[in-house]
Amino acid sequence: MTGTGRRNLALGFSVAAIVVAAVAVLASRDGPLSLRQAPGELTAETLGTYCMDCHNPIDFSGNLALDGDELADIGMHAETWEKVVHKLSAGSMPPLGEPRPDPAAYAGVIDYLESELDTVAAASPNPGRLPLLHRLTRTEYENAIRDLLALDNLPAEMDYELLLPADNSSSGFDNIAELLFVSPVVMERYLGAAQKVARLAVGDPSMPTMVNIHRLALELPQDEPVPGSPFGTRGGLVTESYFPLDGDYVFSVDLAGFAREPHEIEITIDGARVALGHTGGRGSGGLEFRVPVSAGPHVFGATFVHRTHALDESTVRVQRRSRGTLPAIEVVTIAGPYAPTGPGVTPSRERIFVCTPASAAEEAPCAREILATLARRAYRRPATDADVETLMAFYDAGRDGGGFDAGIQRALERLLVSPQFLYRIERVPERVAPGEAFAVTPLELASRLSFFLWSSLPDERLLALAESGALVEDAVLAAEIERMLTDPRAESLVDNFAAQWLFLRDVEGKDPDLFIFRDYDESLREAFVTETELFVGSVLREQRSVLDLIRADYTFVNERLAEHYGIPYVEGSRFRRVTLPESSPRGGLLGQGSILTVTSYPTRTSPVLRGKYVLDNLLASPPPPPPPDVPTLATDEADVERATMTLRESMARHRENPECASCHAQMDPIGFAFENFDAVGRWRETDGGLPIDVVSTLPDGMVVDGIEGVKRLLLDDPERFVGAVTEKLLMYALGRNIQYYDRPAIRAIVREAAADNYTFAALVRGIVLSVPFRMRMAPEAGATDSEV
Amino acid sequence: MFLTKKALPRRAFLRGVGTSLALPLLDSMLPAFAADGASAPPRLSFIYAGNGIVHRNWTPATSGRDFELTPNLASLGKVRDELNVITGLAHLEADTKGDGTGDHPRASAAWLTGVHAYDRTRPGVEVRLATSADQIAAGVIGRDTAVASLELSIDPPMQGACDSGDCFYVNTVSWRNETTPNLAELHPRVVFERLFGDGGSSAERLARSRVTGSILDSVLDEASRLAGTLGAGDTRKLDEYLDSVREVERRIQSAEAKGTQDIALPERPTSIPDTYEEHARIMYDLQVLAFQADVTRITSMIVARELSGLSYPNIGVSNGHHNVSHHRDDPDLIDEKTRIDTYHVELFAEFVEKLQATPDGDGSLLDHSLVLYGSGMGDGNLHRHDDLPLLTVGRLGGKIRTGQHLVYPEHTPMTNLLLTLLEQVGAHIDTLGDSTGRLSPDLLSA
Repeated sequence: MTGTGRRNLALGFSVAAIVVAAVAVLASRDGPLSLRQAPGELTAETLGTYCMDCHNPIDFSGNLALDGDELADIGMHAETWEKVVHKLSAGSMPPLGEPRPDPAAYAGVIDYLESELDTVAAASPNPGRLPLLHRLTRTEYENAIRDLLALDNLPAEMDYELLLPADNSSSGFDNIAELLFVSPVVMERYLGAAQKVARLAVGDPSMPTMVNIHRLALELPQDEPVPGSPFGTRGGLVTESYFPLDGDYVFSVDLAGFAREPHEIEITIDGARVALGHTGGRGSGGLEFRVPVSAGPHVFGATFVHRTHALDESTVRVQRRSRGTLPAIEVVTIAGPYAPTGPGVTPSRERIFVCTPASAAEEAPCAREILATLARRAYRRPATDADVETLMAFYDAGRDGGGFDAGIQRALERLLVSPQFLYRIERVPERVAPGEAFAVTPLELASRLSFFLWSSLPDERLLALAESGALVEDAVLAAEIERMLTDPRAESLVDNFAAQWLFLRDVEGKDPDLFIFRDYDESLREAFVTETELFVGSVLREQRSVLDLIRADYTFVNERLAEHYGIPYVEGSRFRRVTLPESSPRGGLLGQGSILTVTSYPTRTSPVLRGKYVLDNLLASPPPPPPPDVPTLATDEADVERATMTLRESMARHRENPECASCHAQMDPIGFAFENFDAVGRWRETDGGLPIDVVSTLPDGMVVDGIEGVKRLLLDDPERFVGAVTEKLLMYALGRNIQYYDRPAIRAIVREAAADNYTFAALVRGIVLSVPFRMRMAPEAGATDSEV
Repeated sequence: MFLTKKALPRRAFLRGVGTSLALPLLDSMLPAFAADGASAPPRLSFIYAGNGIVHRNWTPATSGRDFELTPNLASLGKVRDELNVITGLAHLEADTKGDGTGDHPRASAAWLTGVHAYDRTRPGVEVRLATSADQIAAGVIGRDTAVASLELSIDPPMQGACDSGDCFYVNTVSWRNETTPNLAELHPRVVFERLFGDGGSSAERLARSRVTGSILDSVLDEASRLAGTLGAGDTRKLDEYLDSVREVERRIQSAEAKGTQDIALPERPTSIPDTYEEHARIMYDLQVLAFQADVTRITSMIVARELSGLSYPNIGVSNGHHNVSHHRDDPDLIDEKTRIDTYHVELFAEFVEKLQATPDGDGSLLDHSLVLYGSGMGDGNLHRHDDLPLLTVGRLGGKIRTGQHLVYPEHTPMTNLLLTLLEQVGAHIDTLGDSTGRLSPDLLSA
C-alpha cells in the first residue's frame, strides 16, 4: 500500500482515500466484510499504480479519470466501469510499452469490478429503452405473410425486394426498433403490398397479368445440370414460383448469344415435362410455350436437353458462361395468367377459408369467423369485436362489388396495413411508476420470442400459452425455446441473424476484380454464402458449442468450392459435409471464402478490414473511429498494398503515431495473420512473389502467428468470444443497441452457458430468460422520449 | 392527376426485358404545361456525388464570367450559360465533435441540413438530424403534385457497420423531419410505379384510389384509438405512422382533384440495369419524365454515396471509389479519382441537356428548374468538409443569374446557399442548420 501510494501522492490525491471510500461502500453490503475487503483494496491499489498516471482528473486521458468518487460508488458510475472492464478484458490497457500488473492482479481487478457491477445490476435491473412500437422488418413481413396466409415464393414480379423498401442495417442489424421508419413513401409501399398480397392469396380472378422475369446470373455456368433439374438436362434454371390462378401461362426463354447447333429446351412443372422446343441454326432465337398450369406454388424448370452427339460437351472446360460453345439461357419470362379459369385449390385459400358459406345467410357469420381467425394470428393476440367490426366494414364493401371472396380479399387488404399488424406493440400499464422496470405481458413475450427465434408471428401453440399465462414460467419458456429451435422456422437464426452478424449479405455486393481473380464467378459467390449458412446451421442444429464456429474440423463444400479450397474428390454441385485434415486452414468461419471476401477490396486483401472484422464481429470490441484529420483506413492500407515488403514499416509507422497506434496495434496483427488468404479466400504462400509474414505481437504481448494464432486468440479466452456472440444475439433479440447496463446480463448468460458447453441453444435460453428480454422500463417522469 | 398509359402491343410487354430502355417515348409525351398555358412551376433537383474531388481538376482558376471549364467540368460546355460553379462553401457541422460517426456519414448527413450527425449508438443519443432543404421546398412547391418529392440513388446502399455510424447517413441525403430519413430508391420500376402507377384505365385508377382512401380513413381511426391505450412511453413511431397515413391521403385527394390525363408513357422498366451508366441514365430520365408530367417538382439523387465501393471498369478504374479517393497525392490515384468525378459530371451533363431540350410552358424544363450538384466533402483524401464542390444549373424561372464562377469567403456555410435557393421557391425560413445569412446578390438576378 505505502509502496504504491508514492506515485499517486505526487499527482495530488491519495489512494488511501479511495480505499477508505471503497471499503465504506463494501461495509454497507451484506456479507462478511473481511472476505470482500481484500479484492476491493487490491483493485484500488492496482488501478492507482498502473492506470492513474494517465486516467486522473488532470491528464484525463481518454476522457477518463478513475478518481475516488468513481471507485467509491461503482453502481453510480457503472457506465465508466463497464468501459474499464471491457478495455481490460480485451487486454488493450495499459497501452503498449507501459508497465502492466502481473496476470493474477490484472484478472483480480476485472473479477472485482465485474462482481460489483453485477451485484448493483441485480439489485436494480435496467432493461433499457425501446419504443412502444416496433415495426416489422421486410424479412419479418415476408415471414409473417408466409405464416399467416401460407404464401411462400411469390411470383418474381412480386419479389419482396420490389414490394417493400429495404430496412436500415445499422450497427449490423436491420431490426433496430428506433431505426425502422415509416414515411409516406413506405406507407405507399405497404398499401401496394397489401393489395397485391391479398389478391394473390385469395386468388382474385380479375387480377392483372404478371410478367415474371427470371434472369440468370451472367457468370453462371450452364454446361452441367443445375440442382433440382431432371436427369439428362443441363443449364437453365429450376426454381419455385407461384402461379396466381388456374389458367394458361406463357414461358419465354431467351438465349444468351447465338446457337449454331440445334438444341432442345424443355419446360418442366413439378419435375414433369410440359413442353419441348427446338432452337439453333441460322435465324433461330428464343422460344415461347403456352402451358396450362394450376394455381399455387410449383417448381418449374427451363433447361436444355443434354445432347450426347456431335460436340462432346463434357470435355469443354468452362469456367464462366460459355458463349459460342454451348448456348446458355439468359432470361426465362413467365407471363400470365391468360384465360384464367378460377382461383383453384391453393394452400393460401385453404388457410384463409376456414369455412365455406352454403347459403347467402351463412356468408356474414362465415366472413366473421374467417376474419377473426386472421386477426388473431396477424395481431398476435385474441381478436376483439372491434377488430372484426372494422374488417367486416371492408368485407361488406368488397362483397357488394364482387361476391364473398372479394369481400374477404378487401378485408384482408385492410388488415395488412393495420398498425397492429405492421408493428409489434407493447404498452406501459398505468400502475407502473415512472422509471420502474416491469415484466412485459405474456402476449408481448410471445411475440418477442417468435420474432427472435423465427423472425415471424407466434404460432397457435405459443399464443395459447401466452393467453393462459403459462408462458411466463421459466420451465414453460425453456420448453418452448427447445421446441421452437427445432422448428424449420428457426432457420431465420441462420439466414437472418447470422447472415447479418457475419456480413454474409454483403457477399453479393462484392465484385472482386475479374482481371486479377479470373475464376471468381456467380457460382463461387453463391457457394461462399451456402457454405457459411450450412456451417452455422450445423452448429445450431447439432447442439454444438459456439466455439466450434472457430475451431470446427469440418465444413460444407460442393465441387466448385472444393476446387477453390484445394479439397480433392468432391464432385457435383451438391453440398456435402467434409471432415478436414488437421493441416487444413479451412475449419471454422475464419477460413471461409465468404468472410475472407467481404473483408477484402476488389483488387487486394485488407489486413485492417480483417482485423476490424474480428474485433468488431467476433470480439465485440470495435476499434474507435480514426481521430479527426487523420486519413483513414484506406490510406494506410493503400501504402501496404503498394509495397508488400514495407508491411512491417507501415506497422512501425502506426506505432510512432500514438493516436493510430492504440487501435492499429490491435487490428493489424490480427489482419496480417490472415495474409495467407487472398482477396477471394484462396490459400497463398507468397504475395507478388514475396514471402508472406503472418507473425505479429498484440499490445499485451501475445504473439499472433497466422490463422491458427487468431483461432487461439479467440479460443484461449472463450468468455470473450462467447460474450461477443451473446452481445450480437442479444442486440438482435431486442432490436436495440447494447449499452453498458446490459453487460451484467451478458456476463450472466455466458456464465450459465459454460455449463452447457456454450451451445447456441444455451445462449438463446439465457437471453430469453434475461432481464432485458422479459422486462421493459417505464419512462422517467419528465422524460423527453414521448416528445416530437 | 392520374396518368394512364396508352396500350402497347402485348408482344412488347412480354419481351419487356428492356433494361437498356432509355425511355424512348420521352419526346412523344405531352408536356404537362403547354406553351400557351399558365406559367410553369419551379422544379428543384439535388444530385449528390460523395467522397469529394481533387480541387485542381475541379475548381476553375478564375472567378467571374470568363472562367474556363476544368477537366472535371469539360462536359458542361453545352450548358455553360446555364451553369454556376460555386466555390468556397463549407459544412463545418460535418466535422467531428469528438463523437463516433465518421467524416463520411457526417458529410452526406449535413449536405442538405447543415446539422451534425451524432453517434446514435451511445446511451441517450437518438436519431436526430433535421428536415432537409429538399423537404422544406417540397412543403411549399410539392404540395399540389401527386408525389411530393422523389428520392433516388444509383449507388447500392451500405449495410452493416457504416464507418461507426448509422447507414442511413450515407444512404440518403433527404430527411422528412428530424427523426425520419427518406429512403433513396434504386429500382427504376419502383420509381416508375410510384410516379405513374401500375397501369389500368382512368376509371380503374379512380376506383382504386377510392378503396385506398377508405382504407386510410379506417387505419387513421384505428391508430388514433390505439394511441390512447399505450400508456406512458415512446410513441414517436405511432406519430410517424399517423403522419405518413395523412400525407398519403392528402396526395390521393390532390390527385383526384386534378382529374385524369391520358398520355403516352414509356414501358415501365423491369430491373436494375447491369451497368452503372444505364442505371444512371434511366434514373435521370425518370426525373425528366416526372418533371415533364408535373408528377413531382422535387427530386434528389445519390450518384455516388459516401464510402462508395463502386468500381468503374468501363473507365479504367477497377478499385473502389472510396479507396481511390484517398489518393495521398499519388498521381495514378489522382488520375483515377479525376476520371470518376469527370464521368459523374458527364452523365449529369446529359441530364441537364435533356432538361434543356424538353419544352415546358414558355420555355424548357431547365429554364424553370434549378439543379444543385455536389458533395458534402471537399478534399476527400483528407476528409475535409470545406471548399465543397458545388454546381448549379438552370435559372429557376429567371431568378438565378447564371454563367459564373462564384467564389465566396472560406468557410461560408453551404446552408447559406440552400437558404437563398429556398427563398426563391417561396420557402421563407430564417435559418437552416448552421446558416449565417443569404448568399447574395451574385447568385440572383437583379
